[in-house]
Amino acid sequence: MTETGLTTSSLTLGYRERVVIRELSIAVPDRRVTSILGPNGCGKSTFLKALARLIAPASGQVRLSGDDIAKIDTRALARRLSILPQSPKAPEGITVSDLVRRGRTPWRGLLAPWSEEDARICQQALEQVGLGELAERPIDELSGGQRQRAWIALVLAQNTPYLLLDEPTTWLDLAHQLEVLSLLQKRNRDHGTTVVTVLHDLNLAVRFSDHLVLFGGHGLVAEGAPEEVITSENLQAAFSLKALVMPDPLTGRPMIVPH
Amino acid sequence: MSALGTGKEILAGWVVLGCLLVAAVLISLTVGQIMITPAELLRGLMTGTGPGSLTLRVLRGPSTMTAVGAGAVLGVSGTIFQILLRNPLAAPDVMGFMSGAGCAVVAGVAFGLLIPLPILAAIGGLVAAALVAGLSFHRGAKQSPLTLILVGIGIGFFASAVSSFLVIRMPPQEASDAQRWLAGSLSARNWGHVLQVFGLGALLFIVLALQVRAMALLELGDELAAGLGARVERARYGLICTGVLLAAVGVAVAGPVPFVAMMAGPLGMRIAGVKHPASRLTAAAIAGATITVFAEVISRSAIPGLQLPVGVMTGIMGAPYLLWLLWKEVEAGEV
Repeated sequence: MTETGLTTSSLTLGYRERVVIRELSIAVPDRRVTSILGPNGCGKSTFLKALARLIAPASGQVRLSGDDIAKIDTRALARRLSILPQSPKAPEGITVSDLVRRGRTPWRGLLAPWSEEDARICQQALEQVGLGELAERPIDELSGGQRQRAWIALVLAQNTPYLLLDEPTTWLDLAHQLEVLSLLQKRNRDHGTTVVTVLHDLNLAVRFSDHLVLFGGHGLVAEGAPEEVITSENLQAAFSLKALVMPDPLTGRPMIVPH
Repeated sequence: MSALGTGKEILAGWVVLGCLLVAAVLISLTVGQIMITPAELLRGLMTGTGPGSLTLRVLRGPSTMTAVGAGAVLGVSGTIFQILLRNPLAAPDVMGFMSGAGCAVVAGVAFGLLIPLPILAAIGGLVAAALVAGLSFHRGAKQSPLTLILVGIGIGFFASAVSSFLVIRMPPQEASDAQRWLAGSLSARNWGHVLQVFGLGALLFIVLALQVRAMALLELGDELAAGLGARVERARYGLICTGVLLAAVGVAVAGPVPFVAMMAGPLGMRIAGVKHPASRLTAAAIAGATITVFAEVISRSAIPGLQLPVGVMTGIMGAPYLLWLLWKEVEAGEV
């Protein structure tokens, strides 16, 4: 049987004294939006970084279509999977378009000139995040929400079937959080991109995700569809949070009301 | 602030930068104890005879062209470290790499080693860089740029002290020459020096051109760079080596001229109004060449009858800039 998608097998992360994730074997569903949830320090960011090979596992593997990602050539991996780390910092004064163009790097030959296709994909990425008009503005002059969208445009320009984002909504107000998550959802629906995000806000995660992975202080608590994962018992186990779970009047999905 | 660089503004910036370099070269060739008019230079260039020709071929041409080459390699070297460490203080002159290169050259001369100067300078620069990296290393912690810079300043003082010690033990005539060279000197350069700095410089520029894309990714932070396909550690070491070698090429022909490497990048970036590493490096090459040529002509014509080492001039220009940068860092709470 050939494996597909992004999977982990017996993945252990952390060091001898502090193992954050132990022997975890899960599969991220292809062409879906998955959110990784859990309390601070549960290792959800560490897990995301391991999925993108930014940290090496203590043991076990992360596999992409069956290949151990540790063995995939760096550039080849960058064509299949992109990651936006938490709170990236832009070089002083660079423009949105300069930033986004760098997303094409893994697709360009060492001496290949800038191609029509590169330009088209960058333009498309800028339009998808709604920054087409602001392409020549320096990043420093943008608002927080615009800046975050510029970073997302960078990874969209990378044009990979797998897109990983570490807390893409941190520091944004609710309206901008919704904006960012709906543009990721749209990317998923339009391009079939597999999106994996680490998120803080449970209700937003439920709203925008097809699949949830919930960590607690001692590893995985539950994973599956939002309806299966978001239950009073699981929230108690993951966050020690007493909460009522009821259907969201707008979407019918689970909604969390803390006691 | 010209942060909003439109296409036209940027083109104008490049034109200004280019004109400044051409003007510096012309002034350097015409001004001196004997003034030569541009017309005489042109005649000398065309006919190969007369005072213009002598000036071009022997008296000023080689020194001016060495200044262009040395300034360019130093400017590019400084910009590499400024981009990698995201700090305007990061440059091979401030961080001791050039003092290390200078020290190795003096040691080579003092001990009568028959090793070509660029190789000695390269070894000295690389050893200094390795010492800076080694001494600021803390297990498990990432060194802050400022730690590296401060350790580098320390290594620089140490290397200068060793150089002074070696010079004092040399015979008087040799010692005087070495002292002069250590201050950064462009007097009595010949076409061999020009060929050397342009040849080695061009080679390293090609090597650097192949690394520029990785550099543009490293600028975004290690994690994003890795996600975008850069081999982060390898790319960083490659760039550091290229930067140190460029500085060594400059030191080998002009001595450890202070502050050119540190000033060229920010100056070029500001005048050209560019931000991308490739453009910043190009602008730094032109700005570095311009600064060095200007410093060279001033150093030999400021006091009639006395030829100051070019490093004295760049020191006078650079020290206030360094103080201003430090003051800004203090204001920002970095120091």
